[in-house]
Amino acid sequence: MTVGLNHYLLLSALLFAIGFFGVLLRKNTLVIYMCLELMLVASTVALVAFSRFNNTMDGNVFVFFILTVAAAEVAVGLAIIVALFRRRQSIDVGELNALKN
Amino acid sequence: MTPTCIALITLLTPLVSAVIIALFLRKQGTLASTVSVLAATVVAAGSLMLAFGGHRDAAVNASVEWLKLGDFTLSLGFKFDDLAALMLSIVGVVGLAVHVFSLGYMHDDASKARFFGGLSIFMFSMIGIVLADNLFMIFIFWELVGFSSYVLINHYHEKASASDASKKAFIVNRVGDFGFLLGIVMCYWANNTVNLTELGHLSDTHSLVFSRLIPLLLFCGAVGKSAQMPLQVWLPDAMEGPTPVSALIHAATMVAAGIYMLCRIEVLMVADALTVIMWVGAITAFYASLCAITQSDIKKVLAYSTLSQLGYMVAAFGLGSLEHLDETTKTVVTLSAGVGAAMFHLTTHAFFKALMFLGSGSVIYGCHHEQDIFKMGGLAKKMPFTFVTFTIGVAAICGLPFLSGFFSKDAILHLAQEKNTAVFVILALTAVLTSFYMVRMWKLTFLGQPRSHEAEHAHEGGLSMTAPLFVLAVLALVGGYAGHFFNIYGHAFEGVWSQIPFAEGAEPYITSIVILVVGAGAALMLYKSAATDALEEKSPALFGFLAFVKGSPDTAYDWYVAKVQQRFAMLLEFLERIFLSGLIIRGFSGVIGLIGIGARALHVGSLHAYVYWFLFGSAILWAYAAGWLF
Repeated sequence: MTVGLNHYLLLSALLFAIGFFGVLLRKNTLVIYMCLELMLVASTVALVAFSRFNNTMDGNVFVFFILTVAAAEVAVGLAIIVALFRRRQSIDVGELNALKN
Repeated sequence: MTPTCIALITLLTPLVSAVIIALFLRKQGTLASTVSVLAATVVAAGSLMLAFGGHRDAAVNASVEWLKLGDFTLSLGFKFDDLAALMLSIVGVVGLAVHVFSLGYMHDDASKARFFGGLSIFMFSMIGIVLADNLFMIFIFWELVGFSSYVLINHYHEKASASDASKKAFIVNRVGDFGFLLGIVMCYWANNTVNLTELGHLSDTHSLVFSRLIPLLLFCGAVGKSAQMPLQVWLPDAMEGPTPVSALIHAATMVAAGIYMLCRIEVLMVADALTVIMWVGAITAFYASLCAITQSDIKKVLAYSTLSQLGYMVAAFGLGSLEHLDETTKTVVTLSAGVGAAMFHLTTHAFFKALMFLGSGSVIYGCHHEQDIFKMGGLAKKMPFTFVTFTIGVAAICGLPFLSGFFSKDAILHLAQEKNTAVFVILALTAVLTSFYMVRMWKLTFLGQPRSHEAEHAHEGGLSMTAPLFVLAVLALVGGYAGHFFNIYGHAFEGVWSQIPFAEGAEPYITSIVILVVGAGAALMLYKSAATDALEEKSPALFGFLAFVKGSPDTAYDWYVAKVQQRFAMLLEFLERIFLSGLIIRGFSGVIGLIGIGARALHVGSLHAYVYWFLFGSAILWAYAAGWLF
């Protein structure tokens, strides 16, 4: 079996779907956060695959940007989650509904 | 000091005085009156310096741009010709006399500061009208005199009649001013300028756009301010104000501003408009003299007399000019004009009517605020000085030869005789009636025996009240010598005086004496010094008719306001409730409220719900980008 572009894209889609449903269904902020990262990584897989099969560097360049942004996001996001936990003693999104009331 | 600078000081000093009084001296009545009288002194000095200093037009005229809207420029400026100089001197002299008189008359008043502040703001506004060089500026100050008149009529505001009278004066004036404003706008639209000097230039080069509507609309302003028919109803009621106010505003200056304004816009006049103006004036003069006969309040008699004399001036203006065809050069030479006669009568009237109002103020003060002439009597002995000066005023208004009123009234009658016989007859009849009601009031007030406790204990006011009476009495005696025999004004007002139509020969003296003898004789014979009206007893039908004539405009307006205007207002209110506040305002707020309820339903507070919304939004955006939508 030769591993072609479609396989990579399938893997990417699968990872994205896992991440997406994770965001939709899970209640734990940390897990939702990891799922978001998973979606980002899924898109980088697709971009690298395109780059490899089209013999261009465009996709790879994009990946560097995404990784940079993701790293920055992790730094800020995790800090927010830690601060949130300190204040509320919970990171369950079901309980984080202060705006509604 | 340049003449322009003097004019500016004359204009602004009363404003400064009013501001100082309003801001700092509301509780210090004595100080406020001092400030106000000082300001009036500055005004009198400034106006006399300007008028008799020989500074005219170019030396004084100045203008600054005040407001620019697109290609429309509103400027404020001075136009100082002989006409303005004459009016300014009248305002200055009478204003000072009234200010000084008020020192005595209002001495014990609780809200003296407000009164003197009002006088100052009035002086400022009136001088603004006099000096204004364009119609918009006249209009601004026109409204300001209206405001100060409102404040001063309302001085005894705890009296319901005074506050009603002030509202009436204001509202009736608004009706006239609406026409005035329309006239100004129309003049600007037709001639592209409302500057009086520029209008004069346009007239000289025969490029002025004439229309019947412009002068008639502008005349509406004069009808309101000078209380001509049919807007005369406010002036008699305005007598609710303190007597010095009646003398200054409602006799000598503000109500004369209408005539002054007409003289300012004389270039815009056309023959048809002049005819209308002439008839309005003649009818007002006659109507008011009829009304005056039944009055028992000393100030109301004077108020109707003022109306009547204002009608005289308006009629004189409307009679237009006397022209003479020069045989040798074949050109039409204007011998005299209505402006001359109107302004001449305005001048003498300002003197003798202010004198009589201040005299009545002195009587009212002496009798402890008794105004009913049937409760006076015998005041000649109690108040000899007031009696003598008041008698001079009565003689002047009746046209006793060689007094001021004789010359000016005679000029108007002469003009009427030359131009329009019907108007001449009406005006001559008015003159008879004038002598009649004036002598009636004079006799009932001063002759006979005192008919009330107040009249028995009447006394003269202090020097501050007698000195202005003296000055005005002198002016009422000599104010008419404006060129017929000799000219006490020198050459200061030549531009106006040269237009006075003087009659030659003995005829005016005979006419005048006949009028005086008929009118005054009838009054002297009919009225006895009694506590009841002799006319009412001898001929109740005639008295009832005159009272009906006097009251009918008010009745008609009351009916109109209650039955027509009020119902129309109720209809409008109904429509407003249904459409504006019902459909439009409530309707819009309902729609917005519904949107709000919908938007609130989306806001569930669950992160997952927002993710679904986000997904939904992305899907829509994707579909739109892919071209599946639209």
